[in-house]
Amino acid sequence: MVVLLSVIIGLLMVVIFRYTSDQTAIRLAKDHLKAHLLAVRLFQDQLPVVLNSYARIIAGTGKYLRLAFKPLLFIILPLTLVIVELDRYLGATPLQTGQAFLVTAHAADADSLNNLSLQLPPQMSTTAPPVHIPADNEVVWRVVAATDGNYDIGIAAAGQTFSKRTVVSSRLARLSPVRLRGQFWKRIFISAEPALSDPGPVTSIALNYPSRNIYFAWMEWNWIWLFFVLSLAAGFLFKTILGIEI
Amino acid sequence: MKARRTNQFLKAAAVLIFVTALVSPAHAYAGPGAGFAVLSSFWTLFIAFLYSLYAFLTWPFRHLFRVLRHRNAYGKAQIKRAVILGFDGMDPELADRFINRGTLPNLAKLRRDGTFRKLRTTYPPISPVAWSTFMTGVNPGKHNIYDFLARDVNTYLPFLSSAEIRGPKRTLKLGKYTLPLGKPRIKGMRHGTPFWHWLGKAGIFCSVIRVPVTFPPEKFEGVLLSGMCVPDLKGSQGTFCFCTTRGDQSKFREGGVRVPIERNGTAYHSYIPGPDDPLGRPSELRVHFEIRPDSTKQQAHIIVDSEKFTLNVGEYSPWIPVKFKVGLGLSAHGICRFYLKEISPEVEVYVTPVNIDPAKPDLPISHPVTYSVYLSKLFGPYATLGLAEDTWALNEQVLDDDAFLAQCYANHNDRERMLFDALEKTQQGLCACVFDTTDRVQHMFWRYLEDDHPAARNVPKDQRPRVIEDLYSRMDALIGRVMNQIDDHTLLLVVSDHGFKSFARCVNVNAWLHQNGYLALKANKTESGDWFEDVDWSRTRAYTMGLNGVYLNLKGREREGIVFPEESRAVKEELRSKLDGLTDSATGRTAITGVFDCDATYTGPYADNAPDLIIGYGNGYRASWDSVLGKVTTQIFEDNVKAWSGDHCVDPRLVPGVLFSNHKIGEEKPAIVDVAPTILKLFGLAIPSYIDGKPWTLAI
Repeated sequence: MVVLLSVIIGLLMVVIFRYTSDQTAIRLAKDHLKAHLLAVRLFQDQLPVVLNSYARIIAGTGKYLRLAFKPLLFIILPLTLVIVELDRYLGATPLQTGQAFLVTAHAADADSLNNLSLQLPPQMSTTAPPVHIPADNEVVWRVVAATDGNYDIGIAAAGQTFSKRTVVSSRLARLSPVRLRGQFWKRIFISAEPALSDPGPVTSIALNYPSRNIYFAWMEWNWIWLFFVLSLAAGFLFKTILGIEI
Repeated sequence: MKARRTNQFLKAAAVLIFVTALVSPAHAYAGPGAGFAVLSSFWTLFIAFLYSLYAFLTWPFRHLFRVLRHRNAYGKAQIKRAVILGFDGMDPELADRFINRGTLPNLAKLRRDGTFRKLRTTYPPISPVAWSTFMTGVNPGKHNIYDFLARDVNTYLPFLSSAEIRGPKRTLKLGKYTLPLGKPRIKGMRHGTPFWHWLGKAGIFCSVIRVPVTFPPEKFEGVLLSGMCVPDLKGSQGTFCFCTTRGDQSKFREGGVRVPIERNGTAYHSYIPGPDDPLGRPSELRVHFEIRPDSTKQQAHIIVDSEKFTLNVGEYSPWIPVKFKVGLGLSAHGICRFYLKEISPEVEVYVTPVNIDPAKPDLPISHPVTYSVYLSKLFGPYATLGLAEDTWALNEQVLDDDAFLAQCYANHNDRERMLFDALEKTQQGLCACVFDTTDRVQHMFWRYLEDDHPAARNVPKDQRPRVIEDLYSRMDALIGRVMNQIDDHTLLLVVSDHGFKSFARCVNVNAWLHQNGYLALKANKTESGDWFEDVDWSRTRAYTMGLNGVYLNLKGREREGIVFPEESRAVKEELRSKLDGLTDSATGRTAITGVFDCDATYTGPYADNAPDLIIGYGNGYRASWDSVLGKVTTQIFEDNVKAWSGDHCVDPRLVPGVLFSNHKIGEEKPAIVDVAPTILKLFGLAIPSYIDGKPWTLAI
């Protein structure tokens, strides 16, 4: 699936790059860079020429990056959102039945710490007493699930209950490792749940979903690195086929 | 406007930085496009850094190495830099005339403060001969170039005198295919050592651009881009392609092929003929293209491979890359320009000869090979063909005057850029560059300089453009820009290989030889086709081929020779006395002002390859178009009505070149053969004993 996504996104991004960039200027900038590189080799006995060519290479690289900047503006926002969404599916694996996991609640202040309590659905149970970490305003519970399913774990404090979605499954699922209070941008990139009520005694509830590794080409990969390599390879292939200057 | 753009750029940069700052490092990847940009930028910088570091760190050792090898390059040099600007065919009389009119201020300054002399040329005064002498400092008997063409004594057929291109040494036969196992073999026929080889060996850096007869490029310690004699992709010296919907099937006499355009709905299809199939199949390679005319806008859209462009009528395309696919993963890379001649009622497109692509040269056209690539990356594609200005297309009236001039000056501007880059890169050493434009434009536009030239009789005198005066002004401006870039320690030489004269009347020397009993035709023939098709060699004593040479049909040398070696001197003397002073009865003018015996003209190991006699035509005369191609006609003299209306393949005494310098030169009668020893002497090098030229005395 990562391979297919990488190839499709590689193709899409290269096509977007083609139509949002100044292809002629990019080709010229690259040609000039190559020329100055060749000049370093051709005139290597003439130190002033070598140094001058090096200066032009630096300037040319700046120009080349500037030309790549405009398409980057078009690409970066949608691509970032796509990657964030993909990361929710591919960044971690759901919890497994019988596998212990940690629920970490972060209190707004040290006074609220002792008032936090965990409310579990019947399919879940704690395997150890909660651990209070006053220095970090955190309480950590060790929990285990008996059956697969989507559950809401509750954290009760000051008469309110704050839920956190928990996925126990052996299938691919959209995961949210943390639920946050406020922090709009961080929520966009990390959390897939609505914000906790603000003001309130709890600032975040986190689960430690295991990170997902993908076995590809005789290696274990984090999906983002595999995506990086494959989409670059796909981009290289498609740019050559479609005659696109990058 | 600029401030507004900067503001927009800063805003955009801020947005990007903001977005990237928010996301985690894993999320900051911005796709393959930007990814490539960033990766390749860093890769470029890394490579550049390594190269620079290598050059910087090893420079002291290389310098030390040079000193230890007694290569203290400039120790005895009188100059630090020599800049030689070659203007092929610049004529001293015209230069003098235009200087006196006040239109050439920079040449006037050189004449006033430095030197202006007529530069004696070679026998014959033909570019490949003269430039070979320029670079080697020897007479043609030592460098082996006597004309563009030489003849095969076994077949009486011509071959290119400067280089021989053959297929690869080894091939593999697979059914109907013959697979080449290696590169084509290119053998340079010019002998002698160019003076920049000696300079390079002494550690003096040289940049040499477009000097004729430098193909194939030879190794030396410097950079060189080959000039005249570089072939096109077909292996010819320039074959243009004229695509037309007109049904005319006639063949061009010189330098071009006519290709039909076929209509298919609203689109038209044609092709560019390429080289022969290297896999041995009996066909030429082709690149097909499509034309979509838009007569309301007087333009056409042209599609060649993945290239799409729009041309207005009367407009050239930029250089378009074309790939002739051979199969089995092989292809030949070329570049060409399209010129839209007409779209209504007929469709006509002219395509320049397919030049070797300098960015992907299938044959070496520079030393090192990367130099042509470097120039291409820096300035874009450029003409690589030796005779890049398509004089044949103008001669055949495929191009008109304006289209031809546009082509000439586009090529010229590319070479100017190369020259100024070479000047920048060669702060010490030799920078030599030859411009062909002067030669080509004078060949084609001399007709407008004269009141009664046969090729301009249909153009009213008050409508004749001042093309040649404009040409000299442009060259003068170029010289001025070069002068602004050099200091007093730089020697500037402006030289030409020969001058120019009118070519109003054609002389078919083969016809004269026939009428005077030296050349015999087969029974019942009164004329002969090209390349002596109908000549009876068993009764022929002399023949001419090429521009100035006359050959005896010598026994033991030519396959069917009949003149015994012991009688050759007498036959030559007889011919010399009859041809010298030959008069054109129609005009009463002397058509031949000198006939030169090659035994007395050339010395050296290759003197035996020379013609036996060199004909010096008088002002206004030249070998006829037919005579050059080995054709025998009934007429000895005829008018030259082609656009090619000026020439220099005449009596060498009539067409000296020019020598301008920013320093005083003591020599009163300098010759082109003296340039090489003069440069060697000025850089403090010993002059090899075999060199024929004498170094000049300069006030430096």
